[in-house]
Amino acid sequence: MTFRRLADRPWRDRATTDTIAWLPPEADTPSRWLTATEWHARIGAWQQRLLETPNTSGCWRLFEPDPIEFSAAMIAIWERGDRVVLPADNQPMTLSALDEAGVALGPTEPGSESDRAGSPPDHPPQWHSRPLPDIAVSLYTSGSSGEPQRLDKRFDQLDAELATQASLWPLSGRLVVSQVSHQHIYGLLFSILRPLCENSPFSARACRYPETLYTWLQHCQATGKRMILVSAPPALSRLPEALDWEPVSAALATIYSSGAPLSKDASDRVHERLGHPVHEVYGSSETGGIAWRVQQHAADWSALPGVEVSHDEDHRLWLRSRHLEIPDQWQRQADLIARTPQGFELLGRADRIVKIGGKRISLTAMDQALSALPGVERAQTLTLQRRDLRLAAIVQLSPNEIPHDHRHHRDTVKRLRRELAAHFETPVLPRYWRFVAPWPTNSQGKLSAEIRQHLFLDLEDRRAPRWLGERLHENGWQVTLEVPEHCAYVDGHFDGQPVLPGIALVHWAMQQARRLFTLSGEFESLERLRFPQPLLPGDRFEMTLDYRRGDGTESLRLECESQRGKHVTGRVALIHRQARES
Amino acid sequence: MTTTALEQELKEMIIETLELEDVTPEDIDPNEPLFVEGLGLDSIDALELGLALQKRYGITLESEAESSRQHFANLKSLAALVESRRQK
Repeated sequence: MTFRRLADRPWRDRATTDTIAWLPPEADTPSRWLTATEWHARIGAWQQRLLETPNTSGCWRLFEPDPIEFSAAMIAIWERGDRVVLPADNQPMTLSALDEAGVALGPTEPGSESDRAGSPPDHPPQWHSRPLPDIAVSLYTSGSSGEPQRLDKRFDQLDAELATQASLWPLSGRLVVSQVSHQHIYGLLFSILRPLCENSPFSARACRYPETLYTWLQHCQATGKRMILVSAPPALSRLPEALDWEPVSAALATIYSSGAPLSKDASDRVHERLGHPVHEVYGSSETGGIAWRVQQHAADWSALPGVEVSHDEDHRLWLRSRHLEIPDQWQRQADLIARTPQGFELLGRADRIVKIGGKRISLTAMDQALSALPGVERAQTLTLQRRDLRLAAIVQLSPNEIPHDHRHHRDTVKRLRRELAAHFETPVLPRYWRFVAPWPTNSQGKLSAEIRQHLFLDLEDRRAPRWLGERLHENGWQVTLEVPEHCAYVDGHFDGQPVLPGIALVHWAMQQARRLFTLSGEFESLERLRFPQPLLPGDRFEMTLDYRRGDGTESLRLECESQRGKHVTGRVALIHRQARES
Repeated sequence: MTTTALEQELKEMIIETLELEDVTPEDIDPNEPLFVEGLGLDSIDALELGLALQKRYGITLESEAESSRQHFANLKSLAALVESRRQK
């Protein structure tokens, strides 16, 4: 094992011909290896840049998507004895929230990719005797309160974790290819720091797509190199079967996944296609690595060496770990676990932190950001288990902002998503929107799980209307509904002028009535039924249902009205079976 | 199949595959960006869309994947990709 601690500065005395990174082939440029000499010139370049940049804070905010530039800048900062602050992304609001934390390095344009033109020119590195900083990196992550939470990592914490990984799964000089961001702890440790400490090359570009991975594997196969893949569930659960992985899979040595648990199905498919099982690592920015598993061996998680795991009676996880800030003290975490014979299983979290496409997000922060937008009175976000996991938003708008038709609905959703995009990355923005007024509650005044389910029922059932709330009205109820754009009843859906047939409204009325009233009768007849004008997909309307009960008969007066006028008026007569039989 | 019919088919595929609940085919402007601004699709959608193209049209995205994602810029470019590379 060739592991060397960060504290021993393994970046300095590299043989000049050592390969630090692999530059994959690009359009007209063949692949090549970056030597230690070239890489040292990048470290020197960043040292010069730091010298020329006034900064008395001892902190440098580094957002740099290019792995070579990132590693060089990080080492240049450490060599000065300064601390690296890593923002999780470069959304304008994320960066402005960290404005206190030192001077910014990396591409300055918000949301932009690496800017080679803005990188400093090569320069020989200077190795001084200045001590390393106490804190190596500060990461930012979403805290339970919704505020970004700063997490400081000392060198001994990082080294403990890097040493554990090196002893469990030595890289042995193989090429490390990453599909995750090194601005987060997992990517930082696995795709940058492990290669540095274990003298293994890393890829100079992130591998974002399965087709890229395929080409690179082909390349490794052809050149006798073996690859270690640092990946995550969003990429691993979407490996195309049409690519013929079999001939290239021998070039692969190990697959890692972290960020969220990988489903058993996805894990099996990766195993089948790539010919290697996935090593999943469970951990967080706060805790570092906690446990690992290979699902083809066991579904339970095993604690990493040096990590002790326990739980209290509420199933809250307790940890004692060399990766934590205070290594010898048991500390309670937000995750919920249960013991199993061979380890433990994950039961979710005790707070409102979720992972969407591998990105950690506090629902509290999303609620707050959404509620602060113009025209929004109240908002609550939740996750929907659709296409993996996506966010949905229940939003109470001020009365004049409520969309009444498709066009206005689209514009409202676009506006809210655009405004949220200043705070969050696109994949975590809510995909499903329900505009309510007033706030829907149960008899205890709560927006209950049952109401939440009701609000999104139309996603499960293509024939259901979009339900947005209801209230008592004279002898009955008034229900706010929308015609879902992709409702199965909408005629000529993909043609010019799709409309909702009137009879679908009667059907919906009967369904709502059966839920709201205890109807004992059966459908008898429709009386004085009028459909003054059809409802269009996306229309929002009020359905008023008045219930009358007489001798052996029941009736339901029905009226649907939108901002454009009335859509149905009439009466549904119901008859009791006993009455019919007599 | 004319280009416009293909565009329509792709619009429906995008809406279905990505479960864009409030988007109708008319909402998708063939020249408007599909990602981020415009329709607002994201990196997970890009992966889903790649899979759908493979399943529906037998298109294996070219190995130089970064550039093949340029075909995803808008509906027009996506239709051009399908037109030139479809196997079924």
